[in-house]
Amino acid sequence: MNTILRFALLLGIFFSLPTIAEEKKKLTYEDKDLYVRVFLRSPEQITAFYQGREFKQQAVDQITDTCNVTVIIKNKTLDVLWLELDNWQFSQNQQPIHRYKRDYWAKQWDEIQLKQAHRSTFGWTLMPEVRDLRTDEGVGGSLYIPKQSGKFSLTLNFNTGSNKQGKKRSVNFNHLFCRKNTDVESE
Amino acid sequence: MKKIVFSLFILTLSLQVSAALPPGLIKLDGRDAPALKLKSMDEENYDLKQSKGRWVFVHFWAAWCGPCRREMPKIQALYSKFDQQTLEIILINTAESDDTVFGFLGAVAPDIDPLMDRDGLVTEVWQPRGLPATFFVDPSGKLQYLALGGRDWTKAEYMQFLNNLVKQK
Repeated sequence: MNTILRFALLLGIFFSLPTIAEEKKKLTYEDKDLYVRVFLRSPEQITAFYQGREFKQQAVDQITDTCNVTVIIKNKTLDVLWLELDNWQFSQNQQPIHRYKRDYWAKQWDEIQLKQAHRSTFGWTLMPEVRDLRTDEGVGGSLYIPKQSGKFSLTLNFNTGSNKQGKKRSVNFNHLFCRKNTDVESE
Repeated sequence: MKKIVFSLFILTLSLQVSAALPPGLIKLDGRDAPALKLKSMDEENYDLKQSKGRWVFVHFWAAWCGPCRREMPKIQALYSKFDQQTLEIILINTAESDDTVFGFLGAVAPDIDPLMDRDGLVTEVWQPRGLPATFFVDPSGKLQYLALGGRDWTKAEYMQFLNNLVKQK
């Protein structure tokens, strides 16, 4: 029995490896100017993170009621790259998907009286709304949207140059999805 | 005459530091550092004002942040290398519990008694560009440099920067 189980496990790992590598490839963009990596976190992962930091259950429930998309960016240009979340667009079937911004979360936390330390921690895990990324500077953080049943897209538009007059950059990720607890992890 | 020579010497050192900043460090405008009054994990009171006369390495971090965890052993190494009267190393934990902080730092940077920004409000005032981040406050209490993200502080280019920095008064 043990041998059969081990074999099944090895088989599972063997067949899931290409899937993981494929997903990572789909969720990564890199050229000479820019590195972008997207992570799709499951409710279980989010729960583990916030429960581990003793967030009250209501807060964890509110966060896991949404869909988490975590993005890491690195500016590889020799100029300023502008992270401006209002220039990013989530969409599904050409229809825009709204994003839960900081004021939404502040209202939620007011309602459940989330303690200040936890508000602060949550705030630092969010992607900054605006950042003038310097050469070699990286930034990462979470974005939240309403749960989607199918695939959706994220288009990241960037201005460049200290006065935003430089070349415009755009990166598109299609086939994103709200990860469920049962989905294979990308890492 | 001695004063002029000394001023030129200091100016030369300043130019050496700012001319070739190592990667990830940016020059700030020299505005006054925001207030920083916190208790350490050992319940010691700290006020940045008491550090006037020396350079201060003000480092914001949290145990949940991967780059912070990777960088911390290098900060412990710096702590062992520099006399705290010359370059004072201050760690500010952002909004975590004593258990979490001790569980991590106890193993990685046991010599440092971190300041606890228990509600995260001091971090909000300082507004680092994400975590981790390190501000360099000069001996007169002005913000001079910001290190973006984490790094290996023991690399030659950073050690040279720090050594040049502490020569400035």
